[in-house]
Amino acid sequence: MTVIACLKWVTPRADDDDRFAGISAADQSALEFALLSAQPGEDVVAVCAGPSGAERALRDAIACGVTRAVRIDLDPRVSSLAVASAVASVATGARLVWCGDYSLDRGTGSMPGFLAARLGIGQALGLIDVTIADDAMTVVRRLDGARREIVRVSGPAVLSVEGSTARLRRASLRGVLAADTATIDVITGPSSVVDTVDEKPFRPRARALAAPVGASALDRVRSLTDAGAATGRSETVVLDPPAAAARIVSTLREWGYLG
Amino acid sequence: MSDADVIVVGAGPAGSCAAIAAARAGRRVILIERGPFPGSKNMYGGVVYPRILDELVPRWWETAPIQRWVVRRSTMVLSETGALTVDYRSNAWGEPPYNGATAYRPDFDEWLSRQAVAAGAQLVTSTTVTGLLRDASGRVTGVRTDRPDGDLTASVVIACDGVNSFLAKEAGLYTATDPSNFTLGAKETLALPKHVIDERFGVRDDQGVDIEILGGTSGVNGGGFVYTNLDTIALGVVLKLPKLAAQKKRPEEIIATLKAHPAIAPLIEGAEVKEYSAHVIPEAGYSMMPTMVTDGMLVAGDAAALCLAAGIWLEGVNFAMASGMYAGDAAAAAVARNDVSTKSLSAYSDRLNATFVLRDHKKLRKVPGLVLSDRVQQKYPAFVTSVVERVFRVDNPQPKPGLRRIVREERKRAGIKLSQLIRDGWTGLRGFG
Amino acid sequence: MSALVAVVPVRAGVVPAGGPEAIAEASGRAIVIGSGAAQATDDLTEAREVTVVDVNVSDPQIWGRLAAEVLTQLGSTDSVVVPASPDGRDLAPHLALALGVDLLSGATEVSPTRVRVARRGGLAIAEHRPSGRFVATLQPGVRGVDSSSTAATVSTVDVSAPASSPAVVSHDVLPPDVSTMDLAEAPRIVGGGAGLTDAERFTQLAEFARAIDASMGVTRVITDRGWAPHQRQIGTTGIVVDPTLYLAFGISGAVQHTSGLGQPDHIISVNTDAHCPMMQMADLAIVSDANAVLDELAALLSKDSAS
Ligand SMILES: Cc1cc2nc3c(=O)[nH]c(=O)nc-3n(C[C@H](O)[C@H](O)[C@H](O)COP(=O)(O)OP(=O)(O)OC[C@H]3O[C@@H](n4cnc5c(N)ncnc54)[C@H](O)[C@@H]3O)c2cc1C
Ligand SMILES: Cc1cc2nc3c(=O)[nH]c(=O)nc-3n(C[C@H](O)[C@H](O)[C@H](O)COP(=O)(O)OP(=O)(O)OC[C@H]3O[C@@H](n4cnc5c(N)ncnc54)[C@H](O)[C@@H]3O)c2cc1C
Ligand SMILES: Nc1ncnc2c1ncn2[C@@H]1O[C@H](COP(=O)(O)O)[C@@H](O)[C@H]1O
Repeated sequence: MTVIACLKWVTPRADDDDRFAGISAADQSALEFALLSAQPGEDVVAVCAGPSGAERALRDAIACGVTRAVRIDLDPRVSSLAVASAVASVATGARLVWCGDYSLDRGTGSMPGFLAARLGIGQALGLIDVTIADDAMTVVRRLDGARREIVRVSGPAVLSVEGSTARLRRASLRGVLAADTATIDVITGPSSVVDTVDEKPFRPRARALAAPVGASALDRVRSLTDAGAATGRSETVVLDPPAAAARIVSTLREWGYLG
Repeated sequence: MSDADVIVVGAGPAGSCAAIAAARAGRRVILIERGPFPGSKNMYGGVVYPRILDELVPRWWETAPIQRWVVRRSTMVLSETGALTVDYRSNAWGEPPYNGATAYRPDFDEWLSRQAVAAGAQLVTSTTVTGLLRDASGRVTGVRTDRPDGDLTASVVIACDGVNSFLAKEAGLYTATDPSNFTLGAKETLALPKHVIDERFGVRDDQGVDIEILGGTSGVNGGGFVYTNLDTIALGVVLKLPKLAAQKKRPEEIIATLKAHPAIAPLIEGAEVKEYSAHVIPEAGYSMMPTMVTDGMLVAGDAAALCLAAGIWLEGVNFAMASGMYAGDAAAAAVARNDVSTKSLSAYSDRLNATFVLRDHKKLRKVPGLVLSDRVQQKYPAFVTSVVERVFRVDNPQPKPGLRRIVREERKRAGIKLSQLIRDGWTGLRGFG
Repeated sequence: MSALVAVVPVRAGVVPAGGPEAIAEASGRAIVIGSGAAQATDDLTEAREVTVVDVNVSDPQIWGRLAAEVLTQLGSTDSVVVPASPDGRDLAPHLALALGVDLLSGATEVSPTRVRVARRGGLAIAEHRPSGRFVATLQPGVRGVDSSSTAATVSTVDVSAPASSPAVVSHDVLPPDVSTMDLAEAPRIVGGGAGLTDAERFTQLAEFARAIDASMGVTRVITDRGWAPHQRQIGTTGIVVDPTLYLAFGISGAVQHTSGLGQPDHIISVNTDAHCPMMQMADLAIVSDANAVLDELAALLSKDSAS
């Protein structure tokens, strides 16, 4: 059986300068979990669909201890589905597939879902905590409103983790030296359509708001814009510790944070 | 067997050239750099004199990431509001074999390190050397790094870890470090469209300008510089450390005042500050240089204080590249001889002594003291500019005073003794001559 | 002409973040799917035309496939807008794949012929002009809703839910808890910095935070010292937070810290240096020893809860 780590190589700067490229903290966590969750005798494979520059990330992964590194030669701008399909060809039959919850360019986060669909296995995505045990893993998934879902993973699944879940181990010097000459398998990816939609600077759209209330037009404008509201409450006081504590508590009450 | 024949610590100009030289000679070389890529955090003013590369990288100018070739060099003396500029231009400097060039360090250092890798050296990045390994006799036998399982052995270690080299200190090669031997360099990178820079500095295409400034540093002893890149200007100051501390001025404030000087402001008007950085420089200090050779180890570049930075001087990269190359050669030869003792390695110091590296430093050994002296710093700029101002001022119907009289009057006004002026002139002449 | 329909996943009757907005974007047309879907429909004031698919599963993969089945069953050829909540984001690829259409993720605006998608962490917008049917996920909070309610027509579709993958089993859903809450979502945060002198102070700080229903955050100096885990670090290299209340104990307010702080409505800072940036930012800046103040707060709050 194998455990897979999916790493997305991203050049964050518009000038495509490879020196500043890398993988996200989330992908680094994914790699760490791949290494931690592999059972004795299991292979850990790092996979990246991307240009040749991405081999630097794969060499780093080898230095950290993965048994094999595969680069799928693919234009990184193809759709998440195309990436997932290409990665699926390498990940078929894997026991666990670890992804980042998001890539360095804050991609869509949809590739792990597509990958689970393509592989026909389960998924647990957006994980904020992972506990690995021998038979099964217990993972905590982020829901909205600060709720958490606790999920047990006992068989093949795609998992995506947030960047704060683990810190990638530091590769040993011997590992780094050996990785320099290690082989990286290169697979030619399917040719697919590159998404060439033009980008414009972000502008928030107009938001729908409830109609303003107020007797006069001026009041209604005020209620929308906050104009004339008190500003600059800022205050500096020198207090001894007991007085300071009392002041904090009374201020929190005044602001309505304490009953 | 050792892990490598030669370990080079630091992939700045000194380290990469050391690695190129040793790898070319067929040695197994490991080049260790703490940054994510060579040059990532390295800063300097902006002008390199790369001719030394003729020996290492044939036709280097075809691939080196150069911004502009310097075809104009100016020295500017600033009083509070006046400026005297000596300006030299040679378009021949804009063609091979070239003189100076402006370049960004992250580009230049990374390019140079790729030459080392091409020569066969193994580059290891994001790895910091934290100490030396030594055998019972005290001979250096390798380095310790911050990675797990991070000890690495070698026949020779070349320390190119930059100013304040802790490796040279750990090996006991520095006697004592005196803060007055250091200056602080601070600079801003200012963005302007290329055509605006071309117009303001009177250049075109890839021609560039190098302006060194004396005075204008708000009373703190030091100097300033303005260099042109393609679409940015590097503007900075080099400040004497003890003076800076005593005056309680921040380097940013001094840069701001320099930028507001009537002779500088029009050059940079409308520019956007892209970057601010500061770094310590070993000031031209023949006197502060460490012992450069010990059993199993050599020191090169800024780590060996091989840098000229005395107000109007900013040369370090060329000395770093040359000393690195000589260190690489000497290390390779010593490994081939199977003798890495101090004696065997001292071919390195002999070569430094015989070439411009130490000759320039010896010749100029008194110049930094002079350039950074209170007299030159506090009195001469005002004196020189007011002499020139009176010579050039036309206030008819008053008859023009004679030059001698002007000089005498202004010298007295500035409080400069004739004997001192003559002595300084002599030191200067001998230094440069 | 094809139109838009929202697919909104519901878990135990709770509507996800951005659900109402997705429905509003689809002009009030929605398929509400999940456990407690019928009950959740009562809260959807934006809805005009709702299809309820009440199934007792909470698995985004299955929701996605079921939603595709239901759309096909209804003969719909509409494009679909899904809220980009955690569940919505996770179901969308399965829905798109089952329908055999493109997925456009993280949209800020969706219409049948034009979809604007946020790129590069919200720095840029890409405008797609889809020629056919598609699935898009809509970022919560981008449009707001105008909750003038009209009565909705509600119909129900019965489907039998397929079994979830036995390899991935939902075990439990935890309600929000401030002490385990992810800092990014915490509405109240108590922060500690290098002005607190030892590791135990951060246990004490966490207790104080709990007492006022807040989460604890720290500066990088503290995580570097190993006194708090990385998930607690606020700032550019930590977590970007957006609380309404922030209390800073012994924090200087370096830009790498404050740039991750959002726009709190109220800030209190306790520091011995009245002039540091954190004190400048504070609504109430108290010059005092933060360690001693924490001791006093502990005493004060335990007295409060005793009485
Ligand atoms: C403000 C300023 C302006 C200057 N202007 C000019 C100019 O215009 N022209 C000019 O020629 N010179 C200039 N200089 C001087 C020039 O920058 C230096 O002389 C030159 O960089 C020296 O090169 P080096 O290779 O010896 O050291 P550095 O360039 O400092 O390189 C040292 C390298 O070692 C690495 N390193 C350090 N410690 C370790 C460690 N423990 N483990 C691993 N790696 C380590 C560093 O990351 C770095 O890459 C200027 C300097 C300053 C500060
Ligand atoms: C690339 C980079 C990324 C960084 N990322 C982050 C990041 O993500 N998050 C982050 O927080 N930092 C980050 N930093 C570090 C940041 O620059 C600051 O160093 C850090 O935020 C300072 O933490 P501090 O306020 O706890 O410590 P300090 O700056 O040392 O401040 C301690 C404060 O405590 C006060 N104090 C001292 N004694 C007492 C007392 N008895 N009572 C009350 N007050 C007292 C002092 O007056 C001072 O204001 C980053 C730095 C870099 C270079
Ligand atoms: N080209 C790729 N190669 C390998 N893994 C990828 C690639 N693109 C995305 N991933 C994985 O999918 C996660 C989410 O990416 P995204 O959908 O781009 O936000 C990433 O963190 C990676 O783990």
